[in-house]
Amino acid sequence: MGLIIDNSRLGAPEQKLYRLVVESEMARTARPGQFLHIRVADTPAPLLRRPLSIAGIDAAAGRLTLYYRLKGQGTELLARKRPGEKLDALGPLGRGFTVPAAGELLLIAGGVGVFPLLSLGEAAGRRGIPCALLWGGENSAFFAAAAGIAGHIPTRRYATMDGSFGVRGLVTELLTSRLAQPSTGGGLTAAACGPYPMLKAVAATARAHPLPLEVSLETTMACGIGACLGCALPGRDAAGGRVTRRVCLDGPVFPAEEVEWL
Amino acid sequence: MAVTDMRVALGPLTLRNPVLAASGAYNFGEEYAPYCPASLLGGIMVKGLTPQPRLGNPPPRLAETPAGLLNAVGLENPGLEEFIRSYPPRLRALDTAVIVNIAGFTVEDYALMARALSGVEGIAALEVNISCPNVKHGGLAFGADPAAAEEVLGAVRAATPLPVIAKLSPNVADIQAIARAAERGGADIISLINTLLGMAIDIGSRRPLLGNITGGLSGPAVKPVALRMVYQVYEAARLPIIGMGGVSKWEDAVEFLLAGAGAVAVGTANFTNPRAPADILRGLDAYCRENGFAKVEELVGLAHK
Repeated sequence: MGLIIDNSRLGAPEQKLYRLVVESEMARTARPGQFLHIRVADTPAPLLRRPLSIAGIDAAAGRLTLYYRLKGQGTELLARKRPGEKLDALGPLGRGFTVPAAGELLLIAGGVGVFPLLSLGEAAGRRGIPCALLWGGENSAFFAAAAGIAGHIPTRRYATMDGSFGVRGLVTELLTSRLAQPSTGGGLTAAACGPYPMLKAVAATARAHPLPLEVSLETTMACGIGACLGCALPGRDAAGGRVTRRVCLDGPVFPAEEVEWL
Repeated sequence: MAVTDMRVALGPLTLRNPVLAASGAYNFGEEYAPYCPASLLGGIMVKGLTPQPRLGNPPPRLAETPAGLLNAVGLENPGLEEFIRSYPPRLRALDTAVIVNIAGFTVEDYALMARALSGVEGIAALEVNISCPNVKHGGLAFGADPAAAEEVLGAVRAATPLPVIAKLSPNVADIQAIARAAERGGADIISLINTLLGMAIDIGSRRPLLGNITGGLSGPAVKPVALRMVYQVYEAARLPIIGMGGVSKWEDAVEFLLAGAGAVAVGTANFTNPRAPADILRGLDAYCRENGFAKVEELVGLAHK
């Protein structure tokens, strides 16, 4: 449960981006990469809760920041909620990112996949870990609305397919050129979130380098707590054996080598 | 504090109250414990077990539909051997009646599982799944044909002293004929309905949304169908009934009891409200008190009078 402090649009309406700030005791235990499972209406439709990743954690103030993009009936109902209303949310749920204790951290984002990485960047910053964001997006209109949410990450590189913001090309090209440079001391680790084909390409690059990588995955979820097995994906255990992994409970963050890339 | 007598007797199976968790929605009961202690429930029907472990179907396994949910999990489970090795102490710790759902691909599979589980401490009953729509062989094949249903139930009956529950599929032409066949085969209790076969198509990719193409529909959308089938089975067979299919609120539970169910199981509603079974119990108790029923069992079948 939580109390809505802010639920407002970011940037131009056609970008459909929203920020949701919730006051809740969940902020005390939340970890970067975990999610809230939100009931958007009391009616039988839409039936399921909506999982939203946690983008900012302020444990002292007891506040969580989440971002979302309007995608359908569920997010549209969520966008109608006003500050002062209660938010029926389960959480914090799932297994989040590993916050590195040393070295340098690369955050690799595709579009709105940046959201869970923002809380990881925040936690790494608190530990004094140098952190860089490589962020691919549709075009300059997307970044005009969204770029501001990553302002706390010290180094940021952008890519768009039309070259209207940052370099022209894919975020994987930003990664390849970053990996061609020497690391600034300590080990380099990475975390990624974005569309599946992007994550698959990032995982292949990381394996070849090699670069330790965690990925945050998204699937349709029902229960959100590991009971229904609806969100499960084929994976590999640490020994390489075939297993099924529940995105909601075993993830949403997985070591890239434990995902069976389809 | 309940003043209504909530105990129910379903043939040889006595439960502390008539609200159970439905198989497939509740895994092995542990995930929901922080939200709704299993000790509040009449029982839990655990995830369908097969003789061998199964990884289940490829993703996507879920599709949300209006007031409903399609799933094609495909009987992902640890298998009989691992279940017997690891799960019984954990299930006993939940302090509720544990009903083990079994699914096979041959008659021998069902008999073998029933025999193996009969010696396991802490199992209250077996639920024989002859209705899974999401695996290619077996499952529904036994539930759609009265002779096959009778044969499977007969084999299980001969293999176990435990109470036997036959879980029926709604994907049949004549539910009463299947119910009578389960009764002839030796089932003690009938549970219904399993999910309704359905599908959804992604208009963007122009492909079926589920990895398995088709899936089973559950949730409020199926409740009228489930209720009608419970009503019909009550008239066709003398066995007690566990009703399920879209039970989301206490009012739904009352309807199922009035239609003839001696107990209900809550499945998909847990996904929206993890405390749904406890909320339903509270409402059921209040309904009984407000309407002068000292025992919840007095409601069973009243819609037929």
